[in-house]
Amino acid sequence: MSEKLFSSSGLIFPAIATLLAVALAGHIDPYLAFVATSWVIFGLLGLSLDIIWGRGGFLSLAQTAFYGLGGYLGSVVAINMAPTTGLTLVWALPAGAAFGALVAAALGYVIFFARMGDLQSTILSYTFTLLLWSVTQTFKLDVGAADIGGDNGLANIPGIVLGLGADSDALGPNAAFVTVVLLSASIYFVTRWLMRSNFGRIVDCIRIDIEKTELLGYDIRKYQVINFAYSGAVAGVAGALFGLWANYLNPSIFSVQEALLVPIYVLIGGLGTLAGPFLGAIGIGWLSFWLGGGTVGGQTTLILGAVLVLLVLFLQNGFLGAIGGFWKRFLPDPNDAARNTGAVKIDTAVLESILIDAERQAGPAKPLLTEDLLKRFGGVIPVNKVSRHFVEGKPHALIGPNGAGKSSFLKTCVGLYRPEGGTIRLGSDEIANVAVFDRVRRGLGVKNQKPQVFGELTVLDNLWTAAFARTRDDVRAREISQKVLGMLGLEAQSKVQADALSHGQQQWLDIGMVLCLAPRVVLLDEPAAGMTNEETRELSLLVRTLARHTTVVVVEHDMEFVRTLEGHVTVLHQGKLFAEGDIDSLRLNDAVLDIYLGRGEHV
Amino acid sequence: MKIAIAALGVALSVTMPSAISHAQTKIGAIFDLTGGLNIYGIQQNNALNLAVERINAAGGVNGEPVAVIGYDAQSELSKYTQYANTAVLRDGIAAMFAGLTSSSREAIRPIFRKANIPYFYSSLYEGGACDKQTFVTGSSASQQLSVLMKWAVENYGKRIYIMAPDYNFGTISGHWIHEYAAQNGAEVVGEDYLALSVTDYAPTIQKIQAAKPDFVVALPVGANQTGFLEQFAAAGLKEDIGVVSTNYGSGNQQVVVSPAAGEGLIASMGYFPSVDSPANAEFIELWQAKYGNDTPIVAGAVDVWNAVHLWAAAANKAGSTDPDAVIAALESGLTFNAPNGNVTLEPGSHHLRQDIYIAEGDANHGFRIVQTYPGSAPTYENEKCDLIASPDTAEHFTPENE
Amino acid sequence: MEPDYLATVLLSSLSSASILLIATLGLAVVYGLMGVINLAHGEFLMVGAYSALTATQIGIPYVLAIPVAVMITMLIGGVVEVLVVRRLYGRLFDTMLATWGLGMVFNQGAVLLFGTVSPGIGMPQYSIRIGEFSLAAYPLAMIAVAAGTLAFVYLLLTRTVYGMKARASIQEPEMAQAIGIDSSRINMLTFAIGTGLAGFAGAVLLPIIPATPSMGLFFAVKGFLTVVVAGPVALTGTALTAVGLGGGASVTASFMTSVIGDVFFFLATALLLWLYPLGISSKWRRKL
Repeated sequence: MSEKLFSSSGLIFPAIATLLAVALAGHIDPYLAFVATSWVIFGLLGLSLDIIWGRGGFLSLAQTAFYGLGGYLGSVVAINMAPTTGLTLVWALPAGAAFGALVAAALGYVIFFARMGDLQSTILSYTFTLLLWSVTQTFKLDVGAADIGGDNGLANIPGIVLGLGADSDALGPNAAFVTVVLLSASIYFVTRWLMRSNFGRIVDCIRIDIEKTELLGYDIRKYQVINFAYSGAVAGVAGALFGLWANYLNPSIFSVQEALLVPIYVLIGGLGTLAGPFLGAIGIGWLSFWLGGGTVGGQTTLILGAVLVLLVLFLQNGFLGAIGGFWKRFLPDPNDAARNTGAVKIDTAVLESILIDAERQAGPAKPLLTEDLLKRFGGVIPVNKVSRHFVEGKPHALIGPNGAGKSSFLKTCVGLYRPEGGTIRLGSDEIANVAVFDRVRRGLGVKNQKPQVFGELTVLDNLWTAAFARTRDDVRAREISQKVLGMLGLEAQSKVQADALSHGQQQWLDIGMVLCLAPRVVLLDEPAAGMTNEETRELSLLVRTLARHTTVVVVEHDMEFVRTLEGHVTVLHQGKLFAEGDIDSLRLNDAVLDIYLGRGEHV
Repeated sequence: MKIAIAALGVALSVTMPSAISHAQTKIGAIFDLTGGLNIYGIQQNNALNLAVERINAAGGVNGEPVAVIGYDAQSELSKYTQYANTAVLRDGIAAMFAGLTSSSREAIRPIFRKANIPYFYSSLYEGGACDKQTFVTGSSASQQLSVLMKWAVENYGKRIYIMAPDYNFGTISGHWIHEYAAQNGAEVVGEDYLALSVTDYAPTIQKIQAAKPDFVVALPVGANQTGFLEQFAAAGLKEDIGVVSTNYGSGNQQVVVSPAAGEGLIASMGYFPSVDSPANAEFIELWQAKYGNDTPIVAGAVDVWNAVHLWAAAANKAGSTDPDAVIAALESGLTFNAPNGNVTLEPGSHHLRQDIYIAEGDANHGFRIVQTYPGSAPTYENEKCDLIASPDTAEHFTPENE
Repeated sequence: MEPDYLATVLLSSLSSASILLIATLGLAVVYGLMGVINLAHGEFLMVGAYSALTATQIGIPYVLAIPVAVMITMLIGGVVEVLVVRRLYGRLFDTMLATWGLGMVFNQGAVLLFGTVSPGIGMPQYSIRIGEFSLAAYPLAMIAVAAGTLAFVYLLLTRTVYGMKARASIQEPEMAQAIGIDSSRINMLTFAIGTGLAGFAGAVLLPIIPATPSMGLFFAVKGFLTVVVAGPVALTGTALTAVGLGGGASVTASFMTSVIGDVFFFLATALLLWLYPLGISSKWRRKL
């Protein structure tokens, strides 16, 4: 019971709060209804940031820009339509939402398609807001009955009018409050549903590990842009509501202070909780309203600033995060199952059937070919004109001393590094200039050295996310992930959060995710790192089985492991192809020994 | 989530002074006591409280004491909207005194218009605000510029350069400078509108030198823009080029600017502390007794003082605080013996006919009045705005839109 | 275009860029060496300005008031590091919000201590002439001050034991810890140096920008953009960016208007971030 309540608390408590607010709205003082309406609107603005920051992982300081632009356009439309038709909401909200979404999509396109760093993205969004602030000070434009007058603003915005026709009146403070609460609540519930849908799952994955999400074949940029556009739409709606509430807009909506208030709402309420921003906005709104009411003799900002510092220091996850953490302590821990497990044992029969299924669905194995592949960093050339042909049948191992360029070679094949020259061919496709996710879609499967799993997701959800990337079909993805789960012998841990698993188990889960992709070429970067001897033996078996159905390239340090693979071995040295053959002949090769032992003229 | 609202209702009704005992006349005040605009807001608020004290000491309004319900807008626009509505919906105020920036005025003006509560705006501004409930006690741009430009052209010459902030106050002032330049047979040889965030004045100073004006009309906003005056003086330009302003000193910029840069600057405003009159002496004495003499009194504070007294006089004359009666009394050509000379509330435009002073910066961070233009009319507002003839006007007239 | 006008524009734009650089260096050091964005940087600049102002008011000559301001801001910076910043390492955005709140407190604290207006100390009344144009000398002197400050910080980071340890802590954090470098002390010192540089900026720029409680805001915004566009190479990257953005904006303002100058600054920032998503110095081989 308690667990069920916890998992649906994001549904139940906001619903209760909404009902309470609506029920009480008729009884509260009109001034309070009026002021509280603005707090709810700020909460909606906070929600828009939580969508892109708490869920999408990008702290956008442009939310007030979408809010302001949505507000301006919504208000201009409302001013022109209200005198003849009434119904300002019907005009202002869609206009605000559309404009907010459009501008956010355009800005998001620049940020995400350029693949900017975190801080740089935040700063660019901030710059966008600042730019709007400086140019709107003197921006004057008459649109029909609406006069946008620079700093003097846009006045005469009608209130919230629900009635039809020219003589409909604007709602009073209490009715307007109910309207805004119901609207915000519906946007909240739609957002919650969206964030729990498949789309939301991928957005979560992008936040947790953006590289891994792309390595599963998701075009992360599209998800980011769509999510940002959605957050822009929510901000635009909030802005349109704000215009109707204040009956007045001015460029100060784009100011530095406004922009920085929004993350505060979100942080104080609880980042990523969706309901938190409302709490934060109401809390901060109430505090500053109360302080400004003369209680502290004009020390408002002093107290507000101090409260902010203390909250950040002592309430890491905001109010809702703190409450959630406290509640969780009284619930059974789903991760308990992770603690009593033995070693992973691969079920080869299931593995074979998975690989045969994959071959049927994704076609035969593809060869991977590089020709004169060149990658340099300044003066260092970690991949120096490497030409190599990898085919199915037996595993290919890449070995070499530290700094030989093995990992760089692999990363260049994957697309994490852009080569300066040469070609990479996957089957018949030239892929040197193809984006990472697209290489994955064409059949490349990659497992990096460190286990890359989505720690906050359960084991089964991790596998599902990988399977869904390929199938785009919920039912089939569930079948595949269940099968791989069985193959790994992790059924008992299916509901365990991935970051509760041991290091070795995470490696297996990561490999399982790669198998869900039905790759035609598999690249493994030191897969045996951190595994026990027993696990390493299982891994060797898996790699050999895999190589019978697909092309497999393994970068490895562990010579004993390479020996058990019984495959082709390529030695890299200083970025160049140095020697090849089977492991036993290479062991007798003096030159190879020289470079490993650091002696002789090859060093 | 929204449970909080219900709880807040209880909390707020306990913590906020919503129930003030009867037999009082309540007035509202919203000023920026914190945040970037508090240079003005604190003094405006001080002036309001001082005026109310004086009125109460003399028996209040219609025999009732006046109580102030004050709010700190925190230099934030949405707070103005919140508090203005709170004052209307909860506090039951007889009049409102609020605002510094034009945007704050425009944000709340419609609220008091709808509620039919007299609203007093007390700051120098670009001019043109016009509706039945709004009364402006600050001077408007055209009111100040018409006399300043005449004086400056006579004293410096006919080549004018404009340095103004790039928003409504600056651009509308720019318009009037062009107009009065033409009236006085002078010409504008260059103009530069500066972003509010600017801290780099070298480009402007070069442009001024290239344009070779006889004087510069400088309208720096806030203390940051006083850097312009320092740099202008340090470049040695002050010797050959005059500097005149309609807002230099409105936020005590003369205190910030060093004597080397401030001496000889010409400012024109509706009030300077050095005005020599019994009313001003009394005002300054009251002020310094209560607030000390650390900071010179700015024109905006006197504008608030005048507004409160005009409202009290009108309410006494009307014999009640009924809005229509008070507005009618305010429109009866009220005069008040103010610290800055006799002021008359123009019935049609709701603006003040008042003395405009031209003062010169001295070597001690102060001003010396060099000329007084008594009873200067708000000509533009009187021409555009006649609320006696058309009481339903609710406009913000700007000369640029014509 | 007359050559004297052109020379004046170039010289004064260089001085504008230098002023931006002086105001930004502290932010760059803290970001470059600690990965912390200090949003209270503008307020530290303000504290430095008020410290220097108060020092001159009690009779200390201006030249000596500058080190006083540096010491006071370093002290406050050290305390802030211990009480706030240290507890938030690795939480970039939390640090930003906490330092922003701190900035609000400082701002209102300054109003309480000093009131809303304080007398400025004025600009030294020297000027130089280029052809028909006259330029205030003090802002031009900032070119030398910026170069000197840059050199000082460079030497501090390359030639002192502290500098070696600080650089080791960012370039090889694990190794630094293994050889016994006490990173928390180094970080405290780095933060104090960053705020000290802000205090220095506030003090040395006092004749140009008078002390007011909100003086830091616009410097902080532009400084902040400069540092992020510059990227990981704290000194050379920031210097180059400050010259490009600040100087470019000033030249633009000279030939057009200051609003277009601002727009140039923001658009150039956006463009550079688009071209160099991790900052212009992200692929440089040098580290300072």
